[in-house]
Amino acid sequence: MAEKFKFLNPQGTDEPVETVPLAPRLTSLDGKTIHFCVTGEPDLTIFLERQLKTEYPQVNWTVKKSYTPVPQRLSDEERKTTDAVILAVSW
Amino acid sequence: MVVDYEDQHLMMKSNSLKFGVPGLRFIAASRTLPGPEDAARLLHPIMDCLTRPLTEEEKKSGLWTAPYNRVIFEGTMEEAEAFFQQTKYIGNPVNAPLNIYTDGLPVVLPTEERVKKMLTGTSHKPDEVITLHEDGRQGKKGQDVMFLPKLRSATVEQVAINAVMAGCKPADLPVVLAIAESGVGVGTTVFFSQWACVSGPIAKEIGMNSGIGMMGPGSQANSAIGRAYQLMAINIGGAMPGVNRMNFGSPFNTAGTCFAERTDALPPGWKGLNEEHGFKKDESVVLVGLATGGIYGAQFSPGGYRSLQRSGHGGVARRMGVKGTPGPHNWLEYIVPDIWAGREGGFIFVMAPEMAKHLHDIGFKSKDEVYKWLYEHSFIPLGKYRLRSWPDEAPTQGWLGVERTSGKHWKDLSDDYMVPLVSNPTQNCIIIAGGDEEVCLQIAGGRYMPDPHELDRFGAIAYSIDAWR
Repeated sequence: MAEKFKFLNPQGTDEPVETVPLAPRLTSLDGKTIHFCVTGEPDLTIFLERQLKTEYPQVNWTVKKSYTPVPQRLSDEERKTTDAVILAVSW
Repeated sequence: MVVDYEDQHLMMKSNSLKFGVPGLRFIAASRTLPGPEDAARLLHPIMDCLTRPLTEEEKKSGLWTAPYNRVIFEGTMEEAEAFFQQTKYIGNPVNAPLNIYTDGLPVVLPTEERVKKMLTGTSHKPDEVITLHEDGRQGKKGQDVMFLPKLRSATVEQVAINAVMAGCKPADLPVVLAIAESGVGVGTTVFFSQWACVSGPIAKEIGMNSGIGMMGPGSQANSAIGRAYQLMAINIGGAMPGVNRMNFGSPFNTAGTCFAERTDALPPGWKGLNEEHGFKKDESVVLVGLATGGIYGAQFSPGGYRSLQRSGHGGVARRMGVKGTPGPHNWLEYIVPDIWAGREGGFIFVMAPEMAKHLHDIGFKSKDEVYKWLYEHSFIPLGKYRLRSWPDEAPTQGWLGVERTSGKHWKDLSDDYMVPLVSNPTQNCIIIAGGDEEVCLQIAGGRYMPDPHELDRFGAIAYSIDAWR
């Protein structure tokens, strides 16, 4: 009978992650502040920004663009006054 | 909510979990529909993601864990071969089975005994977590190294297991550990070509090939260390094409690449990679990089090069306007500025000793002088710079940032203003390696520059090997 061996695991260690629920959804869009966070090269996001503002004029839109894969973060103050975030990844 | 592409959903799921929001809602943009049409299609689904009531699953919080089982398999060698060669079918955008634990080729099976023997190659304890020995791209000295794309950590033993699988010997382990300190990058959506170059005494100690064919087959140390680099990305980082990496894969080599520098062939006054990066001549380091922009090489035939330098004959001499005049000539004039025709940024120039000697003989008394020359010959008019792809993003911050040589906003500069295609002279890097054959290979993706405006966020960094002995 062939000898048996123990073989070791080549994978890395996943650190534990504390998971959080999704933020409560909006019950109405009227007067809400929604942040549109754009990363990467301008393309689809140009039209999304225009059409979102046109189709949902009741929303107070804020926009930040990073032009890299890493988004521009909201400041603590901005987080307090922002009701929802749309992150548009173009990579 | 997030807008991504359909083929990136698995990557988004993996990332959202790692950042603690496993229920993150995302919808897919099209890669091909015209922008206005796609935007109109996405508007209402986007707003639905923001307004549709949460499900019970989406309201949950908790602690996600994925226990690490040190022994992954028990059985005979034959059974273990099948285990380590198992595949998983990856649907769109791969549509093929991919190996889970290997690069697709058979591996040396990591028995407990083999790993124990491998660990004799370092004084570090098996359970020591890989941390940074210096401040760098990943953070501060002493910080745990995170391996992309799954943001995992690793111990010395986990690195040793991969070294066994790759075919390394215990003496190779400090080099593999130093490469591990880099975090074993694979890019964002790309499984880049992974390359590493060893500088210092360890190269000879472990029998590395720094001469002809140093990037090819035949050298145990070169091949196994290069393969360990890639296996660590697969196993420790968890990188898998189509799941969390997109694009073609590595066009350089299917198993990673490691070679050594010819420190014995440096022209007088030219520093080796170890000294260039702040280490001593007798210290061993490894420069760890990714070919982010591809590989360029064989611009001229070796015979054509000899004709240029020995007698001033041939096409190279004609282009350079030195027909009939024996060298030495500055052969870099043949490849600059065309080298930046397709992409900006630094290059790693891997050149044969004779070619470095010619540069030295015509007056470049140090590598820094060559770097300065390359930088000064990289300037093009802004009007032409605007017609390139990558400058639209990080380098110019969407043309809203400040141009670094003038300190002025990009929009305030005229089309004839000259801008460099390399952001800093030392973003380029010269490595002397190879044999007598006159060849220079250029790896696009130069040295790491700590600047958010940099195109190459994964530029090469040197790590101490001695710290891992």
